[in-house]
Amino acid sequence: MVRGMRVGEITGLREEVIIKACKLSMKAHEKSPGKVYIHEKNRGSGEAFFAFPGSWSVDDWYTRNPFGEIKIDVSQFHCMKSIGNDEIALVNEAFYRRFQELLSKSSLLNEVEKAISDRKQIIFTGHSSGGPIAILTTIWFFEKYIRSNTYNIPPFCLTYGSPLLGNRIFSHALKRENWARFFIHFVTKHDIVPRIMLTPLPHIEKVLHYILDFYNPKSPYYQHESISKTNVASNFFLSVLRNTLSVASQMACYNKGCTNLLLETISSIVEISPYRPFGVFVFCTGNGKLVILDNPDGVLQLLFFCLQLSPEEENVDFVHGMFKEHFVYENELQESLTMQDVTYLESLVDVPLSADAITDDAAALNDLGLTTRARLCLRAAGELEKQKLRNQRKIDSNKDTIKEALKKIQEYKTSCEIRKVGYYDAFKIQKDTNDFDANIKRVELTGIWDEIIEMIKRRELPDGFEVRKEWIELGTVFRRLVEPLDIANYYRHAKNEDTGPYMAGARPRRYRFPQKWHEHAERMPVGSSSETTFWAEVEELRGKPYGEVKDKILRVEEQVLGWISGGLIGKDVFLDESSFTKWWRTLPFEHKLGSSLAGYISN
Amino acid sequence: MNSKRLVYHLQEIRHKEASMEPETSQFESSEMLATLLASTPLLEESWRMCSHANAAAQRSFAVNRVGTVAYVAFSGVQMVDCSEESCRSLVEVESGANKGIFTAFSGRRLDLEGDQKPIMLHSGLLQLFLSFYYTQDFQQKMLEILNESKSVVFTGYSIGGALASLSALWLLSVVRTTSPSLSVLCITYGSVMLGNESFSQAILQERWGGNFCHIVAHHDIVPRLLFAPSSPIVAQVRALFNFWQLSMISPHFMQQASQLSNENTAELFDKVLSCVEVSSRGGEDEERSPFWPFGTYLFCTDNGAICLDNTTAIVKLLYLTLATGSPNSSIEDHLKYEYYVGKVCWQYLQKKGFSEVYVSESSNEAGIALALQSSGLPSQEPVYGTAKNCLAMARQLGCRRNLNNAKMAVSLSKITPLRAQIEWYKAFCDGSDDQMGYYDSFKRRSASKRGNKVNMNRIRLGQFWDDVINMLENNQLTHDFHKLPKYVNASQFYKLLVEPLEIAEYYRTCMHKKNGHYMEHGRAKRFKIFDNWWRDIRAGDKESSPRSKFASLTQDTCFWAQVEEARDSVYHITSEMDLGRRSFLLDKIEKFEQYANGMIERKEVSIDVLAKYSSYNLFREEWKEVQLQVLPPRFAGISDGTGEEVV
Repeated sequence: MVRGMRVGEITGLREEVIIKACKLSMKAHEKSPGKVYIHEKNRGSGEAFFAFPGSWSVDDWYTRNPFGEIKIDVSQFHCMKSIGNDEIALVNEAFYRRFQELLSKSSLLNEVEKAISDRKQIIFTGHSSGGPIAILTTIWFFEKYIRSNTYNIPPFCLTYGSPLLGNRIFSHALKRENWARFFIHFVTKHDIVPRIMLTPLPHIEKVLHYILDFYNPKSPYYQHESISKTNVASNFFLSVLRNTLSVASQMACYNKGCTNLLLETISSIVEISPYRPFGVFVFCTGNGKLVILDNPDGVLQLLFFCLQLSPEEENVDFVHGMFKEHFVYENELQESLTMQDVTYLESLVDVPLSADAITDDAAALNDLGLTTRARLCLRAAGELEKQKLRNQRKIDSNKDTIKEALKKIQEYKTSCEIRKVGYYDAFKIQKDTNDFDANIKRVELTGIWDEIIEMIKRRELPDGFEVRKEWIELGTVFRRLVEPLDIANYYRHAKNEDTGPYMAGARPRRYRFPQKWHEHAERMPVGSSSETTFWAEVEELRGKPYGEVKDKILRVEEQVLGWISGGLIGKDVFLDESSFTKWWRTLPFEHKLGSSLAGYISN
Repeated sequence: MNSKRLVYHLQEIRHKEASMEPETSQFESSEMLATLLASTPLLEESWRMCSHANAAAQRSFAVNRVGTVAYVAFSGVQMVDCSEESCRSLVEVESGANKGIFTAFSGRRLDLEGDQKPIMLHSGLLQLFLSFYYTQDFQQKMLEILNESKSVVFTGYSIGGALASLSALWLLSVVRTTSPSLSVLCITYGSVMLGNESFSQAILQERWGGNFCHIVAHHDIVPRLLFAPSSPIVAQVRALFNFWQLSMISPHFMQQASQLSNENTAELFDKVLSCVEVSSRGGEDEERSPFWPFGTYLFCTDNGAICLDNTTAIVKLLYLTLATGSPNSSIEDHLKYEYYVGKVCWQYLQKKGFSEVYVSESSNEAGIALALQSSGLPSQEPVYGTAKNCLAMARQLGCRRNLNNAKMAVSLSKITPLRAQIEWYKAFCDGSDDQMGYYDSFKRRSASKRGNKVNMNRIRLGQFWDDVINMLENNQLTHDFHKLPKYVNASQFYKLLVEPLEIAEYYRTCMHKKNGHYMEHGRAKRFKIFDNWWRDIRAGDKESSPRSKFASLTQDTCFWAQVEEARDSVYHITSEMDLGRRSFLLDKIEKFEQYANGMIERKEVSIDVLAKYSSYNLFREEWKEVQLQVLPPRFAGISDGTGEEVV
């Protein structure tokens, strides 16, 4: 826990920008018809603001049962997936559609580019259901201008009481790209709106439109007691609270290392919301204090535990007050940013368990109403994060062993070339002791890499692991040097007879993953860096009659030419004794005559 | 100790501490899991169905769909008298009329030799289940569920709980092969126990522990009843079930007192309590009940709930919590599930802290204290220490098993080079000029560096796998370890590659003369276990297409042992005078010959079998010679046209 820092220092944003954005995001709701966002720029200041209004019809929140999520379009949002596992991020379809419409039908693009040419610090902001639009616009901006190095001032996204938008992968991808820290979400202690998306539609279907009317500035029931002081409101609140608990407790079970299989069974039967928080959250205690944290699991726990009621709060007036908290951001922040009583929960494992502690540190947590159970859940979330870092350190300690083994295989490759046999063919024949030694090195490397890949699959490494430069490079060297040996081994044992071609499902993850890392880092199309599977292509083509695979051969030849000139595969494939050369020579004369490889292989 | 050494010493300690990985999670999650379950609609929906079935569908069951989930509830009003001696007895799960129903357990040969007992179930409850199972109504409704629902929750109160468990067990066996995407959960309320410890173990091995959740109201005596032998308490139990079942039908009845006198109730309570205590102490006690809990238990109290899956801990808690009750509460609590379900579902929405002032700052201590407070054993209780150790032990075991599995993956990759060396040896021998193949090269090896190394690797690999089996038998690996493809495949590959060397070593050292032939007398236990693993995981696989070339390893790992036996028979047949024994030997040789020809035809042998000077070819030559020289002409033609393609 860190005390004494100002909000500005932690978030990297000046306090007046936060207030300004808040004002604009409220003002956006009252925009003139036809204008789908507010753009505010002052010639004098360095910032350009874009504020998005909310919308409150049920269809603008849920498109279908139970949670209305869809896969994001990765051709537009390239980074919004996990790299190795290739799991695509899920977003709320209703919010996503609204964003797409905005982008295609408004002048947003032009005005954003104008702001870029003025070299402005761009701020996207939204209150309530305007928040998700601001978030999507910000990610779009990151993908389009920052990642491509068109612009180098990263935008900020500020939301106030925004509903949740994306799932775990969404959060993972933003953290991995190091964009998450530019998203600052303000949430008052009892605001129900940020929790709504954790509830399946069937549980609230009948009443949701009343509730949204209450939040809609253009509805006659806007902030009206005839809604918030009824059973409808209380039941709605309890339903949201209970479903928030489902999500939070499921996550806490995983964080706490629960091994009971009942957890899996429950998760497979009950529909539990896929939506998760991401970025930096600023919780307002209601009495001027602020609690800041950026651990998504921790935020999820707070979303539940801050909402938990004490017995004396279970009355209609109190619930009415909770509903009103969706509208107090401006005043609340004015006060808090003046007071600057900030608790930054940087390391959740140190959270004190006792609510009786009367130090300043604990005061803000007490004001959020966190019980010992809540604090244990926060600690567990923090511990998991720490464990991931420990795992990463352990993985890092293998680097030298890997490099040493790769060196040995490189020497093997060189020694084979001296003998005029490509190392692929030598390894496949497995005649000499050094073939065998190379195999032992291959097996050693396999063990280390498989463990790393397993950890990624089980999410036991930090979000950023797959974009770490040194591992991408090491993975590429490993793949280029060792994958041909795996292929040789595969076809040497005729495993294709049992499990089909190498490329059709038998290719190990230890090669598929690093290839994707490399392609992601270099912003190459998926699958375009497949030079290491060259031999598998050859093995499959070799067994087939020319007529059947003619087109394929032409394509492979084309690729080989590219890889050779790029130095991605060695010239050893053209050695006289190479099985590629031998096979190529068996091709029909006309083919060889016109082949692009004719110059490389003597006939 | 001088200061320099002291500093060094301290550094040592610090280093040790730093390198010591936390073996267990420091967070108690038993209460969190209960919270999750309580926050979902599962408890309320299933209880609603149970009370509906109790009142409306006596001696029957009811089905209801909520969204994609089908709920099947069995009435607690059933015609089984748990107290009758005949009913309390256990029967084997796969016997008589119930054969073929719980297919997961059928044909289950015991992997673990020795003291393991067969899987047994309560015979009365099983009979009751069968009376449902064989009705058209039941079959029809189950079929509908299989076709229309994504998941099914079986539920039942009291005796109905046992029926729900058996139905879930049956459906789990069915969907395992037919529709693995269907989720099955069984939630029982105050159910009696169902089977013995082997049954409980089998559920774990199938990875089904998480498909059963037994709700136990604070002091309810029913879930503990079968810990006690029935003979001394028969009358009380009968009267109690009458009272409970009448109360289920008409809630007004509840207000009237049970017909049991206080004296009788107290006697029953004391008897059951003392028997639960005996079981909770563990060990091989003659007095101990054969019944044992299985699956997951949810303990409910006024203060909350916790969820446990370690059966030792469950029995301990069944005892500790009952001990805080009274004869009356143990009977009344069986009728209070409505109250407990409501309580458990809503209390977690409220803020609740410790009732006492002191809170430990250790995550471990605080987590356990909260969990025990929720299960009605606050730290003021004298048994708090026992209960605390019990929770800590359960968590530690669960975590350590997972951790051991992870460590095993690393050990496995470390021994792979040993295996690769043997592979290399095989390839070397198979290609060598002496044309013996790796089996015979190894069997007839002279003292060479290479041979010694391979022999060392053979021994070390054997030790590794023996350690694995040892850990599995001692419960140190996850219960489904033997079903994880990674290990089943690795063990199978090990067996294919190394068992021939084990056989070679056996016959090289002439162990067969001392102990008898390998297959019957020399085969290590690990290979038999791996046979079972492989068979289980391959059950239901399609026939693969024919091989285009010889397998890289002979697919029957005992092929060489059969060769040795056949050679032995050939050797003996010449000197065998007794006609009966002679024709027995002849028969044996012919059978082997046929079998070997088939293997070769299907290319299921590796090329080492066909090496010119392999034991197999030696057998063929010897056999041919015997046929020509010794046997009467009518035998001469037997092997005609069988092996020509080999030479």
